[in-house]
Amino acid sequence: MTRSLLSSRVFLGSVVVLALAALVPFLGRVVPFIAVPYALGVLTSAYYFGVFAMSWDLLFGYAGEVNFGPTFLIGLGAYAAALINNILHWPILPCVIAAAVAALAGGLMLALPALRLRGPYFGLVTLVAVLLLQDVIVVFAHWTGGEIGMTVPDVLSISADTNYWIALAFLVVSAAIIYGYARSSLGLILQAAGQDPVEAAALGFNVAKHKLAAFSLSAIMSGVAGAMLIFYLGSASVDVVVDLAIAVQVIIAAVLGGRRTILGSVIGAVFLILAGQVLLPLGQLSTFVVALIALLVILFFPDGLLGQFLHVGERE
Amino acid sequence: MLGYEIFVDGFAISSLYALGAVGFTLIFGVSGVLNLAHGGTMVVAAMIAWLVIGDLHTGVLGGALIGIIAAIAFAFATYFAAVRPIQRSRAIPKEETEIFILTSTLLWGIMIQTAIAYFFTTNPVTVPPLVPGVVHVLSVRTPSNEVLIAVLCWLVMALLWLFVSRTRAGKALLAASINPRALTLCGFELSRIHLLVWAIYGVLAGIAGVLLGTYLGASSDNIGPLTASAFSIVILGGLGSVPGSLIAAYVVGYFETITAYLVAPTLRSIPALIILVLVLYIRPQGILGRR
Amino acid sequence: MRTERLAVAGLTKRFGGLVAVKDIAFALHDGEILGLIGPNGSGKSTVIKLIMGIERPTAGSITLDGTEIAGWPAHRISRAGIGIVFQHSRPLHRQTVLEHVKLALLPDSLLRLAADPHVDARARAIAERVGLERVLDRYPGTLPFADLRRLELAKAIARDPSVVLVDEPFAGLTASEIAEFAGLIRSLRDAGRALLLVDHNVKSVAALVDRVLAMYLGERIAEGSAEEVMRDETVRRVYLGGAIEAGGRTGVAEGTAAPLLEVDGVSVLYGKAQALDRVSIAIREREFVSIVGLNGAGKTSLFNAISGFVAYSGSIRFGGRNLATQSAAAIARSGLVQCPETRELFGDLSVRENLELGGSHLGATERAEQLAWLLDLFPILSERAQQAARTLSGGEQQMLAIARALMMRPRLLILDEPTLGLAPVILSQLSKALARLRETTEITFLLGEQNVTFALPHADRVYVLEHARIIWEGEPKRFAEEAGAAYL
Repeated sequence: MTRSLLSSRVFLGSVVVLALAALVPFLGRVVPFIAVPYALGVLTSAYYFGVFAMSWDLLFGYAGEVNFGPTFLIGLGAYAAALINNILHWPILPCVIAAAVAALAGGLMLALPALRLRGPYFGLVTLVAVLLLQDVIVVFAHWTGGEIGMTVPDVLSISADTNYWIALAFLVVSAAIIYGYARSSLGLILQAAGQDPVEAAALGFNVAKHKLAAFSLSAIMSGVAGAMLIFYLGSASVDVVVDLAIAVQVIIAAVLGGRRTILGSVIGAVFLILAGQVLLPLGQLSTFVVALIALLVILFFPDGLLGQFLHVGERE
Repeated sequence: MLGYEIFVDGFAISSLYALGAVGFTLIFGVSGVLNLAHGGTMVVAAMIAWLVIGDLHTGVLGGALIGIIAAIAFAFATYFAAVRPIQRSRAIPKEETEIFILTSTLLWGIMIQTAIAYFFTTNPVTVPPLVPGVVHVLSVRTPSNEVLIAVLCWLVMALLWLFVSRTRAGKALLAASINPRALTLCGFELSRIHLLVWAIYGVLAGIAGVLLGTYLGASSDNIGPLTASAFSIVILGGLGSVPGSLIAAYVVGYFETITAYLVAPTLRSIPALIILVLVLYIRPQGILGRR
Repeated sequence: MRTERLAVAGLTKRFGGLVAVKDIAFALHDGEILGLIGPNGSGKSTVIKLIMGIERPTAGSITLDGTEIAGWPAHRISRAGIGIVFQHSRPLHRQTVLEHVKLALLPDSLLRLAADPHVDARARAIAERVGLERVLDRYPGTLPFADLRRLELAKAIARDPSVVLVDEPFAGLTASEIAEFAGLIRSLRDAGRALLLVDHNVKSVAALVDRVLAMYLGERIAEGSAEEVMRDETVRRVYLGGAIEAGGRTGVAEGTAAPLLEVDGVSVLYGKAQALDRVSIAIREREFVSIVGLNGAGKTSLFNAISGFVAYSGSIRFGGRNLATQSAAAIARSGLVQCPETRELFGDLSVRENLELGGSHLGATERAEQLAWLLDLFPILSERAQQAARTLSGGEQQMLAIARALMMRPRLLILDEPTLGLAPVILSQLSKALARLRETTEITFLLGEQNVTFALPHADRVYVLEHARIIWEGEPKRFAEEAGAAYL
């Protein structure tokens, strides 16, 4: 009973938020002085960010794996797409598919140690993976543009409106896939395997198989979102899709929104990007304020924004 | 000739790494905390030393001392703002404390990084060397400061060893890293031991930070890489093992120096990372890890 | 003859140099309950982990319905028809009881996103069978401990296993809950399943089991009906030590002075498991009190409450002062010192350094005196002074642990299971040392023991702790006739 009520509350809330998001492009007709294209641009990035954070939450919240380097998977996808677009001149769709394949390969590479190592050790592997990817990109600057980055010949669209709709549609589809997976039987098994692998195995579940599946899904979604982001921006650079600072932001978005909620990650990502924009006048201090807010949330509301709201009645 | 240069340069940087990593590993040994704001502690020390030497004309030694004091203050701030509240929180499940402390210290590190970038820009600052001039070591022209760094690092570690093996508080510290519960049974307050270990960590990271500032310079951009190298070193050496961290610091330091000299300076961090990944795949407990 | 379901032969497990399980063999038939008993560290838990595939056996065979399953991964063994009820469980916070049972019914496939429609009805039926029908929609965090145990049982039997392994079925349950749980287990047997119950002692499972296999230090020491095993000489020696001898002094600490240690109505909960239920004891100055009870009875919980390591309700006073507000370290410094079951030595430090750390709150001369006295009391420690504590034998480590506690100049010394895992010859040395301490010092002793033979000779007074409660109190000489028979 309570359960279906909660899910319907989540469902209703999502519909309302989605309707509001769909109204943003028309805002200019009501309040003419708002810089709509600018607002749309910020939200477009935020939506791709939301997919990054959801993919991370699937691994952390459900599979119980702490991935300190979500940008390893994101960056693999983004750079695979950018390179293929640049060198082989494939159209966008095949590039995005190639991004998914590259990220999947990266995800499986991470899954291998994840199934053997515990706690901080696995976290470190993921951290190192990001640093190595960054170094590789710099070493092969001839192709990748090194620290400056590379432009991609193709872009999704030059219209802010169209870009916004693409990003929103992509977010909705990704959310449906990841949230659907997490709430399905598979998500339940994954959660059991993440919390207590021994008990899950004793219940007859092949823990390795389920974790590999989660790693694969998380990697594919991250890689595709990374590719989409660079086709929106028209360029790929370490600062935008690989840097550890981005990795940290993805994690903060997911924790802020509420770990183990998937959809909370989107709220966290939008909040984080918007806060960054609002605080823009502060210059570099804006990151300081965002980090401070995230720290305070972790200290005082460890369940996150959505988590706080959803988990009434689960404890005494 | 090149071999000598690599030997001398590598020794200085490795000694610095060793000093920083020993404090990092001590905290882990005593309280199980991995402090991801570690680079921040080192850079704070260098920045403050640079600031007071330049603006308050305290002289190099005075500035270095104030820098170390700042590092101690920052270490305590880290403990009280980002570590203890999480250890004591009832809302955070015990099995998730570790990831929460990693996240909170990371955020704390980002805060100090952006604050430094805001007030001092991201340009590296160089603390004046403690001693000027050059000496010839193994017939290599070496800045005296570099020699002093190696000597000071080993002196500090020798003092730490004396402290741990000769004083009551030091022995209690060592005992706490072996078996904290047993120490409570012997009537020691663990909360005080924690304060002590954070203070010692502040001193070690502060000295390492100031020396780094005189050698390679320091900027807010160094905070992440410094944390990462300390983290790599202690994992490579085995979490909580001081001798392991010392060995690993030299392994990492020399690999970086060799790469910088023989391949390219921009690639200096890559081999160490690859070794680290290999170690984690083959021997996850590190070189001298217990478990 | 009933069908033989599970057969174990030559089962051996080594961890590094330690042999945890050595050449264990037994058979389990349909409709039968086998009890696997042994004190802490006897290897019984390892046996069920080996059967379940959580650990890989070093040698030996495990067959289920004639198929060799030794070395299979756990999920395959589970699919083959073995279920396990873990002692400690960590249910998911965000799923209801019903969803937990459904989880156990899900197929292990990546292609099935939703459960089959009949799963809901089956999950409800299973939940009802174990008595969870009233709490189907509640979250585990809101359930009492007994219901959490039922939930574990429900998950274990959800897949209709032919063999069910149960680890410490009654730990943490109250007497009435135990009766209900025993009923459930019996009903599983009556439905034709084969069950293996693992517990510390015969007593708690005696009424339930058809046969008992007793283990000690990884080896089988007895097998038969519960009565036979309880009468078995080896078993009695392992649990009781041997023939019971009562010591007891006269004229010690009689009188009306206020007790040195007063424990009043103390209860301890671990999560939701009741580890201690309104326990009250009082110890007078210079008295030697033994608390006897089997592993898992609550001795260690009581001592940890007294020493300030666990939260409790009720009150504990030492020398008239309430201990509730004091830190564990402050309690130790005030003269209430514990020498724990796990010994808690500083393994990498030398014997001398361990002792010095114990005496570090004393002045230099006092410390030197205390050290000299202890090295005289335990001469072996003086020979080993420079050796790392880790390298000592078990008996030497125990003496070091006691000596380190004595370095603190305790007014009251708590000794928790000092005999655990020690050879008989060491026991007699330890016993002599205790006798000497009792005669020559002013120290008050509180000894917790499973080994009654060791505990009784020194004691002035004895408490029996069973299932989190004090069930008997009296002089040692009355123990044999009043409490001894019911003890094991």
